[in-house]
Amino acid sequence: MDEKRRRFEALAMPHLDAAYNLARWLTRGGAEADDIVQEAMLRAFRSFDGFRGEAVRPWLLAIVRNCHRSALEQKKRHAAAPLDDRDDMETAAEDPTPEANAIRQGDGRELDKALSALPEEFREVVILRELEEMSYRDIAAVTGAPIGTVMSRLARGRALLKAQLTGGSHGM
Amino acid sequence: MACEESLKTQAYLDGELDAGQALEIEAHLEHCAECQALAADHADMKAAMAGATYHRVPAALRAKIGNMLDAEAKVVPLKVPRKTGFWLGAGSGAGGMAIAAALAFLVFMPASSVVNDLAEAHVRSLMGEHLIDVASSDHHTVKPWFAGHADVSPPAEDFKAEGFTLIGGRADYVHGSRAAVVVYRHGAHVINLFTWADRNTRLPGASSRDGYRMVFWKQNDLDLAAVSDVDPGELDRFVALVKKSQSRE
Repeated sequence: MDEKRRRFEALAMPHLDAAYNLARWLTRGGAEADDIVQEAMLRAFRSFDGFRGEAVRPWLLAIVRNCHRSALEQKKRHAAAPLDDRDDMETAAEDPTPEANAIRQGDGRELDKALSALPEEFREVVILRELEEMSYRDIAAVTGAPIGTVMSRLARGRALLKAQLTGGSHGM
Repeated sequence: MACEESLKTQAYLDGELDAGQALEIEAHLEHCAECQALAADHADMKAAMAGATYHRVPAALRAKIGNMLDAEAKVVPLKVPRKTGFWLGAGSGAGGMAIAAALAFLVFMPASSVVNDLAEAHVRSLMGEHLIDVASSDHHTVKPWFAGHADVSPPAEDFKAEGFTLIGGRADYVHGSRAAVVVYRHGAHVINLFTWADRNTRLPGASSRDGYRMVFWKQNDLDLAAVSDVDPGELDRFVALVKKSQSRE
């Protein structure tokens, strides 16, 4: 293993789970997450020489996000209607949640569905904050949005999520 | 009505405030019902999110990525700057500017756009940004990879015995359509073999652009172009090999 590969293994590979988790959530559990993570790790490795000791995780996750965006762009160019995306949306949106106040009682699957149903700009900040426990500053670095925008998206995302989980009647 | 301090309260609950700001918000929280509700929701959400699925990378994918990176680590020496005069120092700042200048020049060439596209794609690949997506000298690996990543199935035979070593493939764009690119090495030179679906367009004859030679041909409903800075004779020899392998398919 050469030096660059060894450094990458030590500094970037520990965040592979985080990269995969983000890809899965961005694609709403789609199989293309595998391709996105592979592409992202390859890009990260290729530009690793230019990487100068800032935090690795936000840097890597920003690459994952970019790979996801360009995969989406490509999909849009080549197919007018990305069917699998819509399917995901529908399964996520239907299935009424009969119990009120599911926030307290809801199981993980219900929560996963509600998270999947969030529009992407809110979903990504909620995932980065709640599952990766990233700081606002790091979330801003990943998404390329100013911190103020991260804060308002996070507030809106949480409100939407609460509305989803409580049957949509208590939106803020 | 939304409390003006709600984002600041959220930041407090997320542990983003310093001690001074935290004291201010704690005081505010004592009398603001809306922010108290926000705090309660925040705690609920935190508890609920503990149940969300955290997707850990499957072992098979982790191994695949490890192998891919090992292969990529070996590919790196190919991306050293070209030894042709113009490309001397392509890795330096001045070289980068020279590349930018060359690209700007290409844009203003009033010549066939497919030639320009190919020259640009070739230069891009040599700049080390994106030479190879799938690194392999085995056409049983390279060819199936294209099935999921390109619109066409390109010829991807290894001609190592003849001096043209298959090193991998990538997906690229040429002339507005997706192209499959099979990458070969010949001595210190890289040959990009572009393949895209034939749309009844007329292809240019053999062309040159900035020291790169391009040979075009059509075969089996495909448009093909080989681009490289190898000697013209060698490029022709390479093209003949590809044509022969295609007619066997």
